Amino acid sequence: MKGFEPKLIAFLCNWCSYVAADAAGVARFVQKPNVRVIRVFCSGMVDPSYVIKAFASGADGVLVAGCHPGDCHYLAGNIKALRRSFLLRKLLAELGVDQQRFRLEWIAASESPLYAKVVNEMVEEIRNLGPFISKAKKLSKGGA
Amino acid sequence: MPKKKLAIYTATGCPACENTLLDINYDMVSLTSNTDIVFWPYLQGSEWETLDEYGPVDLCILAGAVRTEADRNAVIRLRSSSRLMLAIGSCACFGGLPALCDLSAGMSDSRPGDTDSGNKYLLPKMEPTVCAPCQIVNIDYFTPGCPPTRDLLWSAIQSLLSLGANTPKIAFAASRLPQAIADSVTAGILPRPGSIFAGEKAVCATCSRTKEEKKFDAFFRTHQIDPASGRCLLEQGILCQGLATREGCGGICTAAGAPCRGCFGRTEKVFDPGAKMVSAVSSTFNSTDPKELKNVADSFVDLAGTFYRYTLATQCALMAPNSEDSNNAPDNS
Repeated sequence: MKGFEPKLIAFLCNWCSYVAADAAGVARFVQKPNVRVIRVFCSGMVDPSYVIKAFASGADGVLVAGCHPGDCHYLAGNIKALRRSFLLRKLLAELGVDQQRFRLEWIAASESPLYAKVVNEMVEEIRNLGPFISKAKKLSKGGA
Repeated sequence: MPKKKLAIYTATGCPACENTLLDINYDMVSLTSNTDIVFWPYLQGSEWETLDEYGPVDLCILAGAVRTEADRNAVIRLRSSSRLMLAIGSCACFGGLPALCDLSAGMSDSRPGDTDSGNKYLLPKMEPTVCAPCQIVNIDYFTPGCPPTRDLLWSAIQSLLSLGANTPKIAFAASRLPQAIADSVTAGILPRPGSIFAGEKAVCATCSRTKEEKKFDAFFRTHQIDPASGRCLLEQGILCQGLATREGCGGICTAAGAPCRGCFGRTEKVFDPGAKMVSAVSSTFNSTDPKELKNVADSFVDLAGTFYRYTLATQCALMAPNSEDSNNAPDNS
């Protein structure tokens, strides 16, 4: 797909990943500009419906990033995010969302290079996959 | 008072919804005393011409999803010749079970013009995706359920047909409906268009089982376990969708030991039933070890088909074709 710019929604935890993203900007790491960051207080508050709504509203990929296990500001919020991610991935796969489009990452406040790396990697992967088109849209296009 | 005219039709679906109408028994007889059923192919073998002959009907009771071109035409035709339209059953409200075929690509392949071996009958053209009638025409009211419970269906029909008239009957019907609908029905005003004749909370609110702490390590399918009576099914490792599903049924399945399958669709507060269930089920996992978690998650079979069993066409955010502009789909207020 020529000229396709993927839209990536990133839910970043206020205490680690958001700080890392901020620091990555301050440190002038090269980052793809395809990311729309949504600051959340904890990766544990990212309900599966946020992720599904992001895809339904036109996102091509969703990144959820939080503190490393054990580092959570709220003790175990990131573990809750981890617990949900497995079933969510499975459900997304059944609904026709490629595995690479949803990622859960642990990025600490000090790991700004890692943040830049994850974002760049993900944008390139999704660029290769092409835009996300829901199964229903594919079917309507094929049949009509 | 002239008799009200009634049309009843099922598009793609099974006859269970129409059978529920027959289950109303003696009340059905009282219904016919002030109503003419002018069009009911299932029972009367009515032809489409009768619909034109009798002019616009007062209420059309529509069941079934739209899968073929014939269904689409039928729904449009019924809409144009009826004043009020009541969708009954999960297929007519949400797309229902037939919509699950959209999960596997190629299941809805159109083969227009295919005939049987004797070249006598033409197969109707398939729609690209299965949809609910409310995605094609404007539907006034909804009575979900697979099939809808008898009492709920009777209350809905009764309140729409004898609105503001026959007070004792209306009072009886109103006692079984949610407050907002009951108020308008007793006042003789039509309920807000798009109203769902069912409860507002989740099935858990009416379920008779006790809920304690939800934690489990293994997931069971219904045939693998004999659930203990009186204890929440989800706690026992059975995938029960009561917490994401609209009440109104009275928790009849869970009372009998069968998990809720979500036939009333999502409650107003749930954005996407699948997402809600993923969140709810995952939080019951005991482990914190990624490997173990993955194993538990892998033991689940057919998540999409389970969580969106009845609602794939309209309430699944990723499958509803125009989720952003489906302003007429039930429950979007």
